[in-house]
Amino acid sequence: MSTSVHTGDVYRETVAGALADGWRFASLHATTVADRPVIRTVLSSPEGDLRHEAVAASGGVVPTIVDLAAAAGWDEREAHDLAGVRFDGHEPLRPLVDHDVPLAQFATPVRGPDPYQIAVGPVHAGVIESGHFRFHVVGDLILHVDARLFYKHRGLERAAEGLPLADGLPVVTRACAGCWVTNAVAYAQACEDAFGLAPTRELARARTILLELERVWNTLNDIAAICAGVGLAAGTSRFAALVDDARTLNAHLTGHRFLFGSVRVGGSALDLDAAAVKEARARLERLRAESSRAWKSLLFNGSFMDRMPGIGVVDAEAVRTLGVVGVAARAAGVAEDVRATSPRLAYEGFEPALLRRRTGDVQARLEQRALELLPCLDILDALLATPLRPAAATAATVEKPIGIGRVESPRGATVCVVERDGGTVHRVRLRTGSYSNWPAVAFAAATNLLPDFPLINKSFELCYACADR
Amino acid sequence: MLTLLRDLRKLRRQIGLPAARRPGSLALRHVDCGSCNGCEHELTLVSGPTIDLARYGLGIVASPRHADVLLVTGPVTTRMHAALLTAYEAMPEPRRVAALGDCALGRGLLGTPTEVVGPVESVLPVDLRIAGCPPTPQDIAEALLQLIDSA
Repeated sequence: MSTSVHTGDVYRETVAGALADGWRFASLHATTVADRPVIRTVLSSPEGDLRHEAVAASGGVVPTIVDLAAAAGWDEREAHDLAGVRFDGHEPLRPLVDHDVPLAQFATPVRGPDPYQIAVGPVHAGVIESGHFRFHVVGDLILHVDARLFYKHRGLERAAEGLPLADGLPVVTRACAGCWVTNAVAYAQACEDAFGLAPTRELARARTILLELERVWNTLNDIAAICAGVGLAAGTSRFAALVDDARTLNAHLTGHRFLFGSVRVGGSALDLDAAAVKEARARLERLRAESSRAWKSLLFNGSFMDRMPGIGVVDAEAVRTLGVVGVAARAAGVAEDVRATSPRLAYEGFEPALLRRRTGDVQARLEQRALELLPCLDILDALLATPLRPAAATAATVEKPIGIGRVESPRGATVCVVERDGGTVHRVRLRTGSYSNWPAVAFAAATNLLPDFPLINKSFELCYACADR
Repeated sequence: MLTLLRDLRKLRRQIGLPAARRPGSLALRHVDCGSCNGCEHELTLVSGPTIDLARYGLGIVASPRHADVLLVTGPVTTRMHAALLTAYEAMPEPRRVAALGDCALGRGLLGTPTEVVGPVESVLPVDLRIAGCPPTPQDIAEALLQLIDSA
């Protein structure tokens, strides 16, 4: 992994060459090297390898790569708004995080005889996070949606700068409750990568258990959310009760319903004796039986299932172009799951599960979640077979100034880059599955009916908090 | 479908929720001012079958114009400051403000000072404080019922 800084031309050539060789865009952020502005791009290979390429801003400008990798669109807009770097060739470079701009600057112009705009948010009608959607519609038909997020931007990455690496974890992971474990493990992996540390088998097991516990409650929650999107109150209620059971189990095992505080840099304090793991397996078995029973009820409810086919389609081609990750990508038949290439975690032999009907619509995203719940419970059952002891990472490779972690969250691949200055955080970037997939929500909504938007949105069930940070 | 309804009825019997014996009701409106979504996740469960706050006449309403209580989560980001004030202004009087969760209460606040205005009470008069990171559905329900009882 090179830590040199390219000039503009070499940077573009290097990224283009890597993409042609099968590497994919994973993250881009603004940073500094010797007090000079630099843009750093992270790429990932299908085998799970990670590399980063940096380019120095010359007069505050670097060449764009958005024409090579559309997924870099939000990253470049964010880097511009937060660090003032301009991207030559990215036109128009619309504001993303910056809110002090006139409407015409952030909204896409949609012209013609009949289109009008419907503004929704930032405050929504239910218990929902804050964000603004500007629908360009003709009648009930959505032509285009501008999702304007970052109302919840708290500057968490900047707040972590200058802190000792271990102390950065609670700051960075304040980003999101729904993906707390994922973000914490990605951050811890990035720090350990920079320090040349590798997890022991026991540490990998502890983190994998926590990650899958997080996936269990999120998956149940996502199914409840889709029931709410359709308007099936019985389904919402049943799955909400199961979410409560799953979070109660989390609290039983770690003392916190969202598993806060259960992950740390360089080790794990999680200590589960024989009685605790036995109890956990019994509760998970009950959860499996009850959720399977509830899922069958949904599956054979014709009026529920008929609501979803053909709605909010993101097909395999769009997945590739937009850099969609996680359940939404797999529901379109793209068999990508970071768990299959995670040597730092205990996922030996893991293979992504795919549906027979890989249509990338709301129904496929719902069915994909149900499909993935059982293997997730299987993983937990196997990993909880023996008591779990506290564990620490051990020295394995050379130390590096920059470390990267990559973890599959309930919403998809999450990348964390930590640049260190000795033992403190110089710069940290957290790019979550939600951040990757928000542009896909807008893409999926176009050409659908306005009343279908809540259902389409729920079928992705992305965090605003994770994206806004 | 019948299985689903039967299971829900069984669940309700198992939990054995006490009968609601409170007069009055409260209409609640939630505004997220930069939370980590933990408070929202737990607040959602307050309306779920295991607590079912609607039994006591407490419900989440779609507009601040219909609301008695503004439930505010998060550390009030600069970008949500104006929207929070707009929601508050839209409420009929008498009105109450509840700060939900440790961020809203300014406890262990995290973020960059320029992006965060501060706890809810630095922006609005707060009548009810619900601590926790996040508070459990039970904590939230008990605090809201106190608000009815004290009215």
